Order: sequence, then C-alpha cells, then structure tokens
Amino acid sequence: MIDPMGVPANVAAPTGVRRIRRDPDGGLVAGVCAGIAERVGIDPIIVRLAFVAAALFSGAGLVVYALAWIFLPVGEGGTVGARFRARRGSLEIVGGAGLLVLSAALLLRALGWWVSDAVVWPAVAAAVGGALIWRQFIGPSGDLAVADESRPADVERPAAPFLGGGGLSKVGVGVALVLGAALMFLWANGALNAAGDAVLAAVVVVVALGLILAPLWWRLGRSLAAERGERIRSQERAELGAHLHDSVLQTLALVQRRAENPREVASLARRQERELRAWLLDRPSTRAGESLAAALEAAAAEVEDSHGGAIEVVTVGDCPLDPDAAAVLGAAREAILNAAKFAGDAGPIDAFAEMGPERIEVFVRDRGAGFDPDAVPEDRQGVRESIIGRMERHGGRAAVRAGAGGGTEVELSLERVRT
Amino acid sequence: MSGRPRDAVSLVAGVAIIGLGALLLLDSLHEIDLRFAYLAPAVTATAGAILLARGLSRSRGR
Repeated sequence: MIDPMGVPANVAAPTGVRRIRRDPDGGLVAGVCAGIAERVGIDPIIVRLAFVAAALFSGAGLVVYALAWIFLPVGEGGTVGARFRARRGSLEIVGGAGLLVLSAALLLRALGWWVSDAVVWPAVAAAVGGALIWRQFIGPSGDLAVADESRPADVERPAAPFLGGGGLSKVGVGVALVLGAALMFLWANGALNAAGDAVLAAVVVVVALGLILAPLWWRLGRSLAAERGERIRSQERAELGAHLHDSVLQTLALVQRRAENPREVASLARRQERELRAWLLDRPSTRAGESLAAALEAAAAEVEDSHGGAIEVVTVGDCPLDPDAAAVLGAAREAILNAAKFAGDAGPIDAFAEMGPERIEVFVRDRGAGFDPDAVPEDRQGVRESIIGRMERHGGRAAVRAGAGGGTEVELSLERVRT
Repeated sequence: MSGRPRDAVSLVAGVAIIGLGALLLLDSLHEIDLRFAYLAPAVTATAGAILLARGLSRSRGR
C-alpha cells in the first residue's frame, strides 16, 4: 500500500518527510501537542502553551486541537500504544458522546434554557470524576478487575489498578474532579461563607465522599462474593473427593479382594452404581419407611444383594407408605424376588412403578423362560397369596402373564381411596 | 454509487463539516449573527459526531 506521499506504509519514511502523528502515551489529553513537539523537535510544553494561548484568545486553539485529534494518525508507541489503539474505538465513542452532550448543554445555555452554571458544571465535573474513579475499580464489562492467574506473569496488566501508576493518576484526577465540583458548588451557592449553611456543606461533602468511596465498597463486596464462591467451590471439591474415597474407592478395593467371586463382584458393582446414581442425581434422602418409591428401591436393592442379578427400578411420582401402598410394596417385592430367583440369570429385571394420588401401578418383568400360574401347585403360596391374594385383600388387582418378548410380567394395580 | 462500500465516517464527517461551513458562510454574509455562544456548540457537535461515527465504525469492524 502506497500513501499519498509515495512512501510504502510499512516502510519508515525518511526524517525529512515524516508525517505528524499523535503520541497518546506521551500526551496529556490526546497526544496532539506531544506529537507536534516530537515532529518539530521542541519541548511539548511550548506547544501546549501555544494551544492554551490560542484557546484563550479566540477559542481557535480548541478547534484546531479537536480537528488534529480527529485527523492525525496515532504513532507507534510500544505495548502501551497498542493497548491504547485496542481501546480506541471505545474512547472515541465516549469522547464523541461527551462532545455531543457538551454541545447540547452549550446550546441550551446560549438559548437561555438553563438551570444554573452553579449547578450544571459542578454536576458535569462530578460525573466525569466519578466515572474515572469507577473505571479504575470496575472493568469495562462491569466485572471486578482481579488478577488473572492464567495469564503469563510478564504481561503488563493493571491487575490492581489503584496501585498502578496510570490508574493512580486517573483516580487522582477523578477524586480532584469530584472534590473540585463539590467545592465549586458550595462556593457558587455561598455555602462556604455562611456558617448557617454548614448542613448543606456537610451533605455535599458526604455525597462527594460517597461518590469516591462507592467503588471501594463495591469492590470490597465483589471481592467478598468472589472469595465466598471460591470457598464454596473448594468445599465442593473436598466433598467430592471424600465421597469418592468413601464409596467408589472402597468398592474398588473390595472388588480387587473378591475378584475370584464374579457374583459378589457384580453385586458390589450394582450397589455402588445405585449409590452413585442417587448421589449424582442429588435425590433427596427419603427414608424407605416413609415413601413407596424409596421403599421399592430399597427392596429391589435388598433382593439384588441377596440373589444377584441386575434389577432396574424406574419410579414415577411417589406416595406415602400407608397400608395400601405397603401391600403393593409387599406384592412387588415378592414379584421381584421370584424373578430374581427363577430368571435372574436370564438378564436384567425391570420394575416400573407409577404412583399417583388416585392409582398405584407396578410392573415387574423378567427375561426368563416364563411359567403358567395355573400350573403352580396349591401348596406354593408365593404368587397366589403373597401377590394376588395380598392385592385383592386391599382392593387391588394382580395379573401374571407372559411377557411380550418372553419371560414373565407381573402387573399390580391399586385404586387409592382419597381421604 | 456503483456498489462501492459506503464509508459512514466520511459521510458523517462530510455532512457535519458542510453544516459547519454553511453556518460560517451565512455569518459572513450577515444572514445570521453567529456569536461564540452558538459557534462553540456547533464546533463541538461536529467533532462529537465525527468521533462517535469513527468509534462506532471501529467497534463494529472488530
């Protein structure tokens, strides 16, 4: 790319045809005076004095400075300059909006639609000072500026802005603006000369101090919240470690010790799986004596431990373990026990229970060879009494039939009486 | 108008400076009395509009 002077942009131009560039790092406002001074080869203070004089005489200094700010390019300035350029868009938006607001204020003042110089300008100064102070303590996104440990240590970064040189100077300017605005307001209203207005003075000072200290309080609060969050995370990690040690690691140790007994190993694994699932799903620790769902799961676990095999229990809803529910539980336990005894090796046993306020339904399915209930001898009371008879005595119903894919399905249903 | 991308910053700057120039011309022709109290807001508004357009353009381009 070639610039209008015929010099490639990426090649340093000779000293004689060097363009004037702003130097924001070395400047007080936008680096216009510093850039001109660097180009001309004089002390920047001389250029600054010239601009101030021009501004005082006719305002032309301000106009020229503003135009130079807009149109002069920014010079290369190392890491600080790079940071400045990265934030340049935001600064321009803030500066542009500020100038438009200032323009509107000046126009309103010229038209006479004005409250009072003694109110508006101190308020503007206080707002700018407060914004500077807030900016140093609160990040651009509203987050607290805290040290990022993931960043390399050699990256220059204002982790503690209040302690950094630039941050300190900006905070100082902000504090000075707020205090100056407060004093300006008091002076313009005559409060500094009249002892009777001491209350007003105190109120204004308190407001000014509040503006200054509010970011500190904000930062303190955010720090405490961050510390609390970190403490909670640390406790959760410790709790997770302790739980894994007490459950999974202990079970793994038992599995190693009993490796020669596959049935027991499988039982241990199933028990651990149940416990871990309950913990991961954060199920409330309902006691088996209070809830049908918990009691059913406990009964299935007990059968699984005593007879081996896998029993998958799925429950929908829940209800208290009243006598009717206890009857369903007893019948379901018997069905699960039978399935584990006679079809435990054929595959997992499924127990599905749906418990509503009006109805309880339980299905127990196995993958065994199946059987004919009518062919069961009279002296065997398991199905006939413990399942069918028990359900009928409580007004319910039990059905034993062949499963769709083989095996046996026991269906238990009971209409609940509303109290 | 032949499909060239429009430079919003130049557009805003051009319109703002044309407006400022028109005010100054009217003042020179004694059509209006442009005192400093009115000139200052016009100049700051011009600079503010250009800065704002540049800032918005830059932030959208990031």
